[in-house]
Amino acid sequence: MYVDNVIEGFYNAVNGSRVLLFVNYDIDAICAARILQHLFRCDTIAYTLVPVSGIQDLRQAYEENCEEVKYVVLVNCGGTIDIVELLEPEEHVIFYLLDSHRPTDLCNVFSSSQVRIIGNSDPEEGIPEFDDVFREDSDEEEDNSGEDSDPEESRAAKRMRMSEEAILKRRENRLWAEKRDRIVFNYTQFSYYGKASAVQMFELALSLSKDTTDLLWCAIIGVTEQYLLGKVEKQQYVLDSGTLQGYVSKLSHNLDEDPTEAANSTPVTVPRISFTKDLQLALYRHWTVEASLRHSMYSACKLKLWTLKGERRLHELLVDMGLPLVQSRQKFSAMDMVLRQEFHSMIEKLAEKYELDQLVFASFILQYGFRNKYCASDVVYSMLALLESTGREKSSKDCFLEAMDALSRPKKNLLEDGIEKAKVMLTSIFKMVQAALDMQMVISGGPFLYFIIQEGALNARQFSHPHTLILLAQFVLQAYVMVRKKKATNLPLIASAPLDADEGTCLVVGIPPVIEDSPKNFFGKAFEQAAEKTNARAQLDYFDSSVMKLKMEDRSKFFDALAALLS
Amino acid sequence: MKEFRPPNFPLTCRESIDVNFNVLKNRRPLSQTSCYNPDLDTMEDTFDDEDFLSDQEDISVQKVLQTLEEAWLNEKFSPELLPSQEDYVHCMMDQIQQMEDNLNKLKKTDFRGEVHHMELARIRYIITSYLRTRLDKIELATAHILEQEALRGPENSYLSEGELKFAKEFLALQESHSKQLVLRHMPSPFQEFMPTQQTLVPNLRSHVFLRAKKDVQSVVIEGDRDNRDEEVDLDENSQHIMQYQPIATYLKDGSLQLI
Amino acid sequence: MFCEKSLNLIKELDRSTEAMPAFDDDGVRQVFEEMRGLYDQNVAAANDSTADPDGTAIAGIAIRHAALERNKRCLMAYVYNRIRKVRNMRWQFGSILPPEIKANLCEPEIQWFNSYSKTLALYMKSIGDQGLNLAQDVKPPKSLYVEVRSLTDYGKFEMDNGEVVLLKKHSTHLMSRAQCEPLIIQGILEQITH
Repeated sequence: MYVDNVIEGFYNAVNGSRVLLFVNYDIDAICAARILQHLFRCDTIAYTLVPVSGIQDLRQAYEENCEEVKYVVLVNCGGTIDIVELLEPEEHVIFYLLDSHRPTDLCNVFSSSQVRIIGNSDPEEGIPEFDDVFREDSDEEEDNSGEDSDPEESRAAKRMRMSEEAILKRRENRLWAEKRDRIVFNYTQFSYYGKASAVQMFELALSLSKDTTDLLWCAIIGVTEQYLLGKVEKQQYVLDSGTLQGYVSKLSHNLDEDPTEAANSTPVTVPRISFTKDLQLALYRHWTVEASLRHSMYSACKLKLWTLKGERRLHELLVDMGLPLVQSRQKFSAMDMVLRQEFHSMIEKLAEKYELDQLVFASFILQYGFRNKYCASDVVYSMLALLESTGREKSSKDCFLEAMDALSRPKKNLLEDGIEKAKVMLTSIFKMVQAALDMQMVISGGPFLYFIIQEGALNARQFSHPHTLILLAQFVLQAYVMVRKKKATNLPLIASAPLDADEGTCLVVGIPPVIEDSPKNFFGKAFEQAAEKTNARAQLDYFDSSVMKLKMEDRSKFFDALAALLS
Repeated sequence: MKEFRPPNFPLTCRESIDVNFNVLKNRRPLSQTSCYNPDLDTMEDTFDDEDFLSDQEDISVQKVLQTLEEAWLNEKFSPELLPSQEDYVHCMMDQIQQMEDNLNKLKKTDFRGEVHHMELARIRYIITSYLRTRLDKIELATAHILEQEALRGPENSYLSEGELKFAKEFLALQESHSKQLVLRHMPSPFQEFMPTQQTLVPNLRSHVFLRAKKDVQSVVIEGDRDNRDEEVDLDENSQHIMQYQPIATYLKDGSLQLI
Repeated sequence: MFCEKSLNLIKELDRSTEAMPAFDDDGVRQVFEEMRGLYDQNVAAANDSTADPDGTAIAGIAIRHAALERNKRCLMAYVYNRIRKVRNMRWQFGSILPPEIKANLCEPEIQWFNSYSKTLALYMKSIGDQGLNLAQDVKPPKSLYVEVRSLTDYGKFEMDNGEVVLLKKHSTHLMSRAQCEPLIIQGILEQITH
């Protein structure tokens, strides 16, 4: 059931009692959770926040925490599965779903009692009508009533009459069931993403008049993450950032409004967000220009920087910009002032010549104090790196908490730490791409390409996390397409990396082909069916259905089954 | 049309309570006043009551709180143990209890309830901090304090009953512990527990910041061997920093405030 | 030289980084032995004064006496400072000690702890009409509800109004400050500042 009026249907309803929050391991969820935490703190709504990484994790956490809890909020988790069936809650527990994963499970949509979905249903999602999908089964009743009829009628005649009706009824049911299966299949075939949860939470804050610059920044990060990880297409991002820009101008208007203060009205330490045109170069403000050009997916693919020829083009580009090599190898903040200021405009001018026309995109920058200037994509990369930096002493939940803390301003050193880790992450992604293309590791498996990272490979540990692997897969596919030109544009890619050496599992992600602009991913269903067919020991545990765990021994037959399925 | 005036800190209970110190037992319970009585239709009525300070001896709750605050600050900054303000503490605690009871009847999401709870928490903090500071001082210089207390006589006591009992028990505990652990094993002439030889004595010559609440004449400051004794006059509301010892008496009779 | 061991005892205590270091039984016993030795020597020398005409024995007796006094002072200081630490434990953990701390205390210290808890409790009950727990509200309260993060797997925690919260590691909670203050002081919860 959809909750249209978020304040009445959700916020006021939970006011006064304790709320249980389950948050998924992704940046959008973390941002949404932070906004919600802020709102709860303002109104002293007691809550408990538990991070969950997958479906099993959610079930276990719910069992542990469910005592005496009436309201449960699920952030970016549980939208695509039948919650009531999974968790088996008591009658009075109400679940609020805030999930940007689509398609939302039909049981959740049509549940009238326990599940409430925050937000409005989008007509574009194509949610089927209730009658098409659910119908009470009245087959048995007809047969039974037939038996109790008047025994005076001759048996044969009765049987004839009954069977005729029964046959018609059965046929009708069968047709309806087929139609229902077809509709459900069409609905759940592709998995994609809807509006960012962080933006929905920010709009809630807006309607409660509790919006602040920090909350808006969280919403911006959520939207930027969706764009950078390829979860939404570019038009959607432009639309979303347009709306956010409206909020930015509203908030900054409030800041500068006070005319009674001195000429420099607001102090420099107040955080400001500005909406500017930014470059698609990852972390370039905190890195060297050369490194940033080399490791960003867009520029690296367009200039083919893994080849020698590409390196030469890079140097050409730098020379054209008037940037000496020495300067471009220095940290951006240590470059000459003049060069730094002109960098942006120079690159824009040369973008066309080097086919980097999509280099400029609209983004947001947060600035507070003199030293702290971060653009949204910097923060996203930093948080991703923090989230996936598990090691021997740091469990994944520690990383989750660190990523959450990185958003708060007093913990700026965490953000800086994350940026360093992100540099390492991007460097290793680039190296892996280079290795993949040089050593022909991208293999065609028929209707799709696949790319396997072997266990002993360099930095294999880095890629045993979903987000890093997705970034790598996208980079590899783009690069491969640049090399092979037309032939590979309509092939999707499956990437696999070792996950756990003890259990012998590996992580598998699938991304859609380059030619389709939309990020609609059909691998969720495909994985499910292939796993069923081959009885592979697979775990479709992640909330993002294009990511799954698989036993390494079953991998080859799983891929074969997939190939058979997709051809 | 009664307008709602938000409560100002500290308490806004304008109705005075009969806190005559000779008749502590005859306090009128707060619930009988219209203050904080949620049985009334609106709480707004309560904040409009006028001051009832008719009698000189009636002390409003605000005054009690202020005295407590000053006592707390004085206790924090002075090096020695000051006379106990036990009566004020007692009275304040009763007030808190009654107010909490009343507040619990309020609806949970009422915003005013939070503000008042916060205020009560702050007052509780002042009281506990005051008592803790006193307890710390007692524990550090037990023998010395007990000695001085004995010298002062029962009417002029600095310690409350509970504190006195605590101090005596604490000293006894120290003694029995030392005896059992170490003194037993020592050779016989050394087996005595000599508390006065080993407890810390507060340094009365340490410097403190103070503000004069009233005009104070001729405070005698002892001079060093080279300087003579000086006499200083302290004007009202002036602030000084000087040694504790000369002003100790003035502090105890209320003409000075440590800050 | 004399009194080295007792000085060592105090130095160790001072330099230790733990909140409650272990009781140095051996060290204390050695100091006792030294004292006994010195005392016996002194008694022997005093009784033997007739054999010493020029008074050098007096100096020896005086030195040993001073050493004995010093040993006593050091031991008393050692005991006293340990007791201060035990007292701090009471204010931090309440009247039940966690087993790691208890292992570091010797028997008399544990008895002291229990008696101190009792005396303190008696005093706290005597304040006002209903008593006042002085271990709460250690810092000036800034808000009624605080955000805390659980540092360990504490388990279920029941609050005054009946609600039960599961304090598992890495979970974040918004709770009433008065309820979770003792846990924050004990180090089980960590307060999050923004």
